[in-house]
Amino acid sequence: MTTATNLRAVPFARRFMSFTWVVIGIFVVAMIASAFLKPSILVDTLITGGMWALMAGGLALVFGVMNLPNFAHGEFFMIGSLVAITVLRPIQAALRADPENTALKVLGPFPGMIVAVAVGFVAGVLLEVVLFRALRRRSSEQWMMNTFLLTAGVSVILINGNRLLFGNDFQGIRAYWDVPPIEILGVGVSVDRGMVFVIAMITIAVFAVFLQRTRTGRAMRAVAQDETGAQMAGIDLNRVFMLTMGLSCALAALAGAALLFMYPSYPNVGIQPLYLAWFVVILAGLGNVQGAIIGAFIVSFLQTLTVYYIGIGWVDVLPTVVIILILLFKPSGLFGSEVKGVWEQ
Amino acid sequence: MSAEPATPMSVANGARARARRAGRVASLAVVVFAILLPLIPPFSDQAYQRWLIGAAFMAAMAVAFDFTAGYINIVNFGFAAFVGVGAYTSGLLAANLGISPWIGMFVGAVAAGFVGLLTGMLTLRLRGIYAAVMTWFVGLALLGLARNLTEITRGSLGLNVPLLLETSDNLPYYYVILGMLLVTITALTIVIRSDIGLAFRAIGQNLQAARASGINPTRFLVVNFTLSCAFAGWLGGFYAHYYGILTPDIMLTSHTVEVLAVAYIGGRGSLWGPAIIAFPLTIAVEILRTQFANLPGLHLVLYGLLLIIVMIFAPGGFAGGVRKLGARLETRWAAKEVTAA
Repeated sequence: MTTATNLRAVPFARRFMSFTWVVIGIFVVAMIASAFLKPSILVDTLITGGMWALMAGGLALVFGVMNLPNFAHGEFFMIGSLVAITVLRPIQAALRADPENTALKVLGPFPGMIVAVAVGFVAGVLLEVVLFRALRRRSSEQWMMNTFLLTAGVSVILINGNRLLFGNDFQGIRAYWDVPPIEILGVGVSVDRGMVFVIAMITIAVFAVFLQRTRTGRAMRAVAQDETGAQMAGIDLNRVFMLTMGLSCALAALAGAALLFMYPSYPNVGIQPLYLAWFVVILAGLGNVQGAIIGAFIVSFLQTLTVYYIGIGWVDVLPTVVIILILLFKPSGLFGSEVKGVWEQ
Repeated sequence: MSAEPATPMSVANGARARARRAGRVASLAVVVFAILLPLIPPFSDQAYQRWLIGAAFMAAMAVAFDFTAGYINIVNFGFAAFVGVGAYTSGLLAANLGISPWIGMFVGAVAAGFVGLLTGMLTLRLRGIYAAVMTWFVGLALLGLARNLTEITRGSLGLNVPLLLETSDNLPYYYVILGMLLVTITALTIVIRSDIGLAFRAIGQNLQAARASGINPTRFLVVNFTLSCAFAGWLGGFYAHYYGILTPDIMLTSHTVEVLAVAYIGGRGSLWGPAIIAFPLTIAVEILRTQFANLPGLHLVLYGLLLIIVMIFAPGGFAGGVRKLGARLETRWAAKEVTAA
């Protein structure tokens, strides 16, 4: 059995190189079909997909650059929503005192999101400096598994730390912008959801330009490709790791802040975003940022279909099964490279 | 060799034999202590015996977990879900068909082992982080099933399950779970000491080298994983029939992380390390939980902190520390024998 499968593995993979495109094709066709049958499916897919893209993009970035599978990624979503609600409370109070203040009405939600991004960034940098640097200094043996378990510990501490400090209550808002919904494709879309999509798209665009065009972004990609080579070219690894971790956590915190009206802040709020981001990243291929952004929409589409046709309780089960089936044919993920090295660690 | 005069080699062997004998005496002492523990005053109280049962249950789970994590280097993030599969199988059989829990527990083990076999065949083709994440996904899917098949599992309302024994006294339950712990640790130690165990360790340390020496890694990985899941399911059966009520929450990933923390703090790749450390840890956690009932989650912060500290500063955990101590004793004994000779 050993040799037989091993020998067949290569041609099998080659034959299915186009498998990726078949799968993507199926999803694109299905999405277009759904747009005609029930436009709300497409709208929902795009809106939540945008936010999962932020989550998964950050997760993939950290994995690509630092070889770090972050199990605590969802907790930065939690931090984001916690910061956003904390900043929003006084603003809401001010608005209640002065209901005619248009500037406050329109711009009120933004300070919370901006502070959440800042706090997420600082938290990510701290995590890198305090924990990962210490571990890196001690041993690089089994780095990937060790950091995965380490972040599992971080996740437990952050969730329960939140519970200890801020209590176990749901703190949510009904809507960021309390105005009637706008109509897109004949579907009523609340302004909040529309804004979430816009924020996600702008952030992804800025993120892509940053990675492709700026010196720092190039340094990150260089480290992702070849750590030693990047170091020899004079790139300060510690700085890149700090920035990567900060950026990734800032994106997760932004997602948490922007989705506050859907996911009220409470200690366990990060768990679902965490495994959705992991679904996406595994589906797309670990460490592939662009793939993660496409994968986010696929996962979001599967979720939306499940909610519409089967029931909200199955929203975790069905996408998981579909993803496992896809991975049976392409274990390294849809956009994963055939290089096996990274898996072997 | 014994007929020859003392060479450095024979001295080292003598010291090693002595260290091994000391280890055997120590483990016997630990077992006797565990048997007598619930009779010693603070623990002779029913409430404390409940803690001990929780500790022994955690110890057994950590041993089964360590069997995969410590030897083949696969972290089963869906571990709690496999415990849940065993618990639900046994619980449903007893509740609906009136099958004795003693038989149901073994059926539960088979069911969990079977799900483990399928998961293993699916995920263990690739190693490391990929397998960890895939087992996690399978665990999430199983949790979702338990939550959604409310007609069978009654979902979060909880399934009422007949008890294992016809007594509400905790002491007999403690001896049942202690027996299960000893069976788990003995059976898995026998496997580890056999040729199969050698293959496990070879694969865990260096997959390529193991493959080069003619081992089929996937088959061994799947065997190991299935066995660990079967024990998880068996222990789940005890959980179901001890507490008498089952909710899907026993499958939560946070429970896996607790087991994982105990296994790593105890020292991976030793089996006995996690088993021993589970007792003081669980009792400490229970003390925290009762003393600071107004601060829920404090005990989990402790778990997380200990896990991080162990991962960074003492990767060998408790067992690693004991081993280092043993090695130091061994060299001291060897030195003594040399001077005596």
